[in-house]
Amino acid sequence: MIIQSIKKPLLLIAGFIIIAGILSACASNEPTCAGPQSKNLAKAIDTAQMSLASGCEAHFDRYFDDLLTIAEGDPKPENKRAFSEFLVWSSDQGLLSNRQAQEYYNRYFNVKFMSMKGDYNNCSHTCPNKQRVLFNMERELSDKERGLMKVSLDNDGYYRADQLFQEVELVLEATCTACAAGY
Amino acid sequence: MRNAPQYPQAAAQNRTSRRTLYLACLALLFIGTAGVATQQASATTPTIRLFPTTVVEDLKQTGNVARDMETGLQEIIGRLDQQQELYQESKCDGAEDDSGCQRLARQIGQTYLEMLTVMDERLPDMEHTVNNTRQSLEKGLRNELGKKMTPWTLQETLIGGKADQTTTKAAPTLRGRSGMRLSERFNQYYQLVATSGAKGDQSLAVLASDIYLDMEETSILIQRTRQEIARATLMEQLNQSFGIITPEMIEVVGGVKSILFGDADSTTLVASPPPGSVEQAYRSPLEQ
Repeated sequence: MIIQSIKKPLLLIAGFIIIAGILSACASNEPTCAGPQSKNLAKAIDTAQMSLASGCEAHFDRYFDDLLTIAEGDPKPENKRAFSEFLVWSSDQGLLSNRQAQEYYNRYFNVKFMSMKGDYNNCSHTCPNKQRVLFNMERELSDKERGLMKVSLDNDGYYRADQLFQEVELVLEATCTACAAGY
Repeated sequence: MRNAPQYPQAAAQNRTSRRTLYLACLALLFIGTAGVATQQASATTPTIRLFPTTVVEDLKQTGNVARDMETGLQEIIGRLDQQQELYQESKCDGAEDDSGCQRLARQIGQTYLEMLTVMDERLPDMEHTVNNTRQSLEKGLRNELGKKMTPWTLQETLIGGKADQTTTKAAPTLRGRSGMRLSERFNQYYQLVATSGAKGDQSLAVLASDIYLDMEETSILIQRTRQEIARATLMEQLNQSFGIITPEMIEVVGGVKSILFGDADSTTLVASPPPGSVEQAYRSPLEQ
């Protein structure tokens, strides 16, 4: 009788211990997703690729940002190629769509502005959202400063992007005034 | 029959020369087709038409009208300056009751009225030509950049090809034109537009936008000036009976001088960016 009365709680406790064990085992298999520690961009990219391939894909933005910070520590024109290859790899691995990879690359390493894209004409599409477009372009310009100037030492590229931004501002002001006068 | 053995040789010779002729014709045809294709390709390359001949003529006309106005006003403003100098040298400030000073003030007032009259006469012409230019440019900008282009194509037009890097840098900067005579400004516009055939579309778009916005401002300024002239003329006619120089008069003359003849002090110099250090050769497959 006594043994039978103790048996039930014992079974319950044993069950809890087994469940806790399973849960802790699961928890310990979760990747830590720590950022790359190396100050060498190639090694840091390898580390990032390993982490991203083993379940840390949700942290892609953070890894990309970490890699930019590491590249800023050793700026050189070849970094552009390293980032391009990293993004192509990410696209091949299915971490990013091809369009997303292009967005990332062009936002940081190209003169043209991804925030000034659209399939409709300027009068109907850009002018009604002129302020928002210019605000987004300004933010993108600071990313270009980082990617082109601080990471790749492409000063010419950055100054062209800056000049393009100023010209877009002027041309949009004139074009949108002209569009508004026509309606 | 004597000639019989020669026939095959002659026929072979004929065939060879005919083949050469065919080949030559084919080559010519190919070159011709290629030429036509190239011409068609260059003809179908989208070019933006922002400066029709009417705009060029309007700019020239505006420059001429501005020069006429400057010439008409230069002498009057010079006289006004001398009279004001005399007024100050005679220590008339604070001695308004003095009869000599009152006479001087009336003379200044009359010259001021003369200036207003000349401006009133010339401004309608000016307004007309400025508005013509503005309207032509407005139509071009709306159609060519506003309706025919997406934001991406506009961006591509502005940035041009990679080869245009130096051209873009060498392009004249028009913004911040204070310190320049009005007629000179329009003359510069005219020169830039008249020789714009050699420039790329990217500088044309910027140039057209710049001129259009400037014309827009000028047009508003002329409208306001014309309204002000009527008011200032009435005020000055009243002041004539008292022989008073108002601070407004001095302000208006100063304003007219800076618009027409420029104000060198207001020209600001902006530092140019440092040159890039490394030539970029790498082109990513992701680049758009």
